Amino acid sequence: MMTGNLILVAVIGFAGGLSVGAGFVAFLTVLGLLPRLTQLTKTMKMIHYYEWAVVFGVLAGGWLSLQGNILHWNQYVLPIIGVANGVFNGMLAAALTEVLNVFPILSKRIGIQDKMVYLIMAVVFGKVIGSLFQWIYFVNL
Amino acid sequence: MELIYVRMRNRVYVKLNQEVKVKDVVKVIGPEDIVRKLEDITLLEVKKEDKNIIIIDLVQVIQEIGRMDGELEVQTFGPAQTIVEVVYEKRKFSFLFFIGVWMLLFIGTGITIMNYHVDVSMQEVHQKLFKLITGREDKSPLLIQIPYSFGLGLGMVLFFNHFFKKRFNEEPSPLEVEMFNYQQDLDQYVIMNENKESIRQIDDR
Repeated sequence: MMTGNLILVAVIGFAGGLSVGAGFVAFLTVLGLLPRLTQLTKTMKMIHYYEWAVVFGVLAGGWLSLQGNILHWNQYVLPIIGVANGVFNGMLAAALTEVLNVFPILSKRIGIQDKMVYLIMAVVFGKVIGSLFQWIYFVNL
Repeated sequence: MELIYVRMRNRVYVKLNQEVKVKDVVKVIGPEDIVRKLEDITLLEVKKEDKNIIIIDLVQVIQEIGRMDGELEVQTFGPAQTIVEVVYEKRKFSFLFFIGVWMLLFIGTGITIMNYHVDVSMQEVHQKLFKLITGREDKSPLLIQIPYSFGLGLGMVLFFNHFFKKRFNEEPSPLEVEMFNYQQDLDQYVIMNENKESIRQIDDR
């Protein structure tokens, strides 16, 4: 009975991980983040290594967040992680198809195709200021 | 019997009251004297009722060519219609309007990112991450969060390709591709819906 339960739990856990992992990769693929990064850095040949980077990143994050270990590293590693986290999230936000579809329609409607850069800047500053405001002030309310 | 080749242009811009001639919308190749005569045929005159888009179909051009000289053999290639866009006087660019849209985007995206952070419990994750790495508790781990916030902006700029604009000139940015796709969809729509040749209404409707 006990062994049966254990096997059942393991199967359920494995199945859950499988679908979440597949979903995560599907999400990344839809947003086209990796192609964009390889295009920017001209490293198309390395795309397979980037795939593994994603897999190992997910594994490490998953394991560490579930185990509650403490690494006792120097605290100045944190800004590096913070920037990486931010750049990744920023690219995700930019890649969301809603965002991409907003600009063409908006700029065509109000006829400012040549001033698109300023609209993009509005979004970028909005994200940065909104985020800073939240962490520094809003969460302490 | 002479052979001429015609190719419709994809999109041309005209002014109000302008006479649209064959040479404006079609590239004609063939014996020089015939081409010169053909290119001078007037297809239509732009009127106010035409609003800003007129579709000229290939059959209209062939019809006109046939009317001029029924003996010609016409070979066609390229698009089957031309989108004629009437350019009215450029709308004045309203600075106030622009500021309004700018503020809308600025405030909207700012609030949206805050909603997103709450939605995915970003604060909690950052606190846990701080504990994981340093072993200390911190209610607001700004050491992660401030770099994170600036990284957010950097990531968006990178994605939209503004730092590298000069360096990768030939490759369009995702936004430019998206703009192009959107324009194509619009063109496809007007080709189907503004083209008199592709719609036939029932008379008594």
